[in-house]
Amino acid sequence: MIDNFNRFVIPNLDLLAHGLWVTVRICAVAFAMAVAMGAAACVIRLYVPGVRYLAIGYIEFSRATPIIVQLLWVNYVWPELFGFPQSVEWAGIIALAIQSSGYLAETFRSGIEGLPRGQIEASMAVGMSRSRTFRRIVAPQVLLVMAPSIVNQLAVVVKASTLVSVIAIPDLMYDALKIVNQWFEPIEVLTSVAVIYILTIFSLSAIAKRIADYFREKYGLAAYA
Amino acid sequence: MIAPTLSPASTGGPILRCSNVRKSFGANEVLRGISFEIPAGSVLTIIGASGSGKSTLLRCLNHLEQPTSGEVYLDGEPMGVRIKPNGTRVPDKAANIARKRAQIGMVFQQFNLWPHMTALQNVTEALIQVKGLDRAKAADLGRNTLAKVNLLEKADDYPARLSGGQQQRVAIARALAMAPKVMLFDEATSSLDPELTGEVLEVMRQLAQEGMTMVVVTHEMGFAREVSDRVIFLHEGQIDQDGTPEEVFVKPTSERCRRFLSSALS
Repeated sequence: MIDNFNRFVIPNLDLLAHGLWVTVRICAVAFAMAVAMGAAACVIRLYVPGVRYLAIGYIEFSRATPIIVQLLWVNYVWPELFGFPQSVEWAGIIALAIQSSGYLAETFRSGIEGLPRGQIEASMAVGMSRSRTFRRIVAPQVLLVMAPSIVNQLAVVVKASTLVSVIAIPDLMYDALKIVNQWFEPIEVLTSVAVIYILTIFSLSAIAKRIADYFREKYGLAAYA
Repeated sequence: MIAPTLSPASTGGPILRCSNVRKSFGANEVLRGISFEIPAGSVLTIIGASGSGKSTLLRCLNHLEQPTSGEVYLDGEPMGVRIKPNGTRVPDKAANIARKRAQIGMVFQQFNLWPHMTALQNVTEALIQVKGLDRAKAADLGRNTLAKVNLLEKADDYPARLSGGQQQRVAIARALAMAPKVMLFDEATSSLDPELTGEVLEVMRQLAQEGMTMVVVTHEMGFAREVSDRVIFLHEGQIDQDGTPEEVFVKPTSERCRRFLSSALS
């Protein structure tokens, strides 16, 4: 086993490192987009009565459709319909962002609806507008309280990103499968890739937990946990 | 020459006027035609059993609840409605309602301090965001107001690090810093342990002595009797007894009020 590890994994570390970088890049951009899209969908659902059903439709669609369907749909159908995306990497990013934004929208919504009503009333009582109340009072508290759920969604994005290899994005999984298909020795390569994913997600969770714990301790929000 | 328009309060009129206010939640009519006036610098206390409509009335005064009918006037200006030149009344813009609300301080039973802000930030937030003061000026004013409620040394503490009494005093400072025309207190001591109640009542007593116009909903009958200029006893959404503390507490004419007081004081 050690022998196979030295033969198939060590010489391909550069390739795996490049794959990991592509994975990190895709996940970072997709997650940032998902946070923005999820927040927008949540705000529209809660505060814009005229079009709230559009937001509900979007959220339900993004959560009810398998990620593989969204990947193939964005990669093969969107260019025909809308003329973009023009690269597989952007197709992967958009599909991951759509899927994750639906879950994040619902996470944000539960955070907003769970906020004690008195917090908003205190803000209105001193003459703050609804938008200022949202920006200064609601949003910071929701982000603090929902931080663990938001980080959890990032881990889901990282795991879901393994599927982008099906549209030929050279991510970590794609590169690993390339090595496996070349030598037909899956055990060491796939085990190594599994370990890299575990370490990546574990590190993300640990860093996020420490940051969240720091702020929860600082603001005395531990009771919400 | 056109004479300058004077506010009612500046000519000795009421600073707050409540005219036949009714409020229903669905089929449940909580307020059934409440009318009163409060002269500037006086203290009105509202007492009554749970569910009599005290808190709803207070929340109608600053339009946190929109009355179903009737009107509230702050210094002669109607809250929540705009009177057009031809005399018709239309719902006011949210920005105008917010502007008028900023002139009415409110202190809640549950304090409602913002947990992600320090005591000082809680006090300065509206000064910066609503009144448009720069940060340095707001911080100066915030510290002065915290000093007034004896909490200057807690300025940089977050609410979670403060006792209930301290949190409520910060909440009073938050309302006070806006230099309101009227302060509303909604059972400000009901969530506090008995040993913490005194420090909050002391601040309220001090405000009353300084001439702050106050509307106080409370179960602290001793405090109400000592500080109030006028006391209203609410029963099922209507004013059942109305008078000076002497008239209400010593010789109430309403049998319901007498029963309420005897159970509240026993």
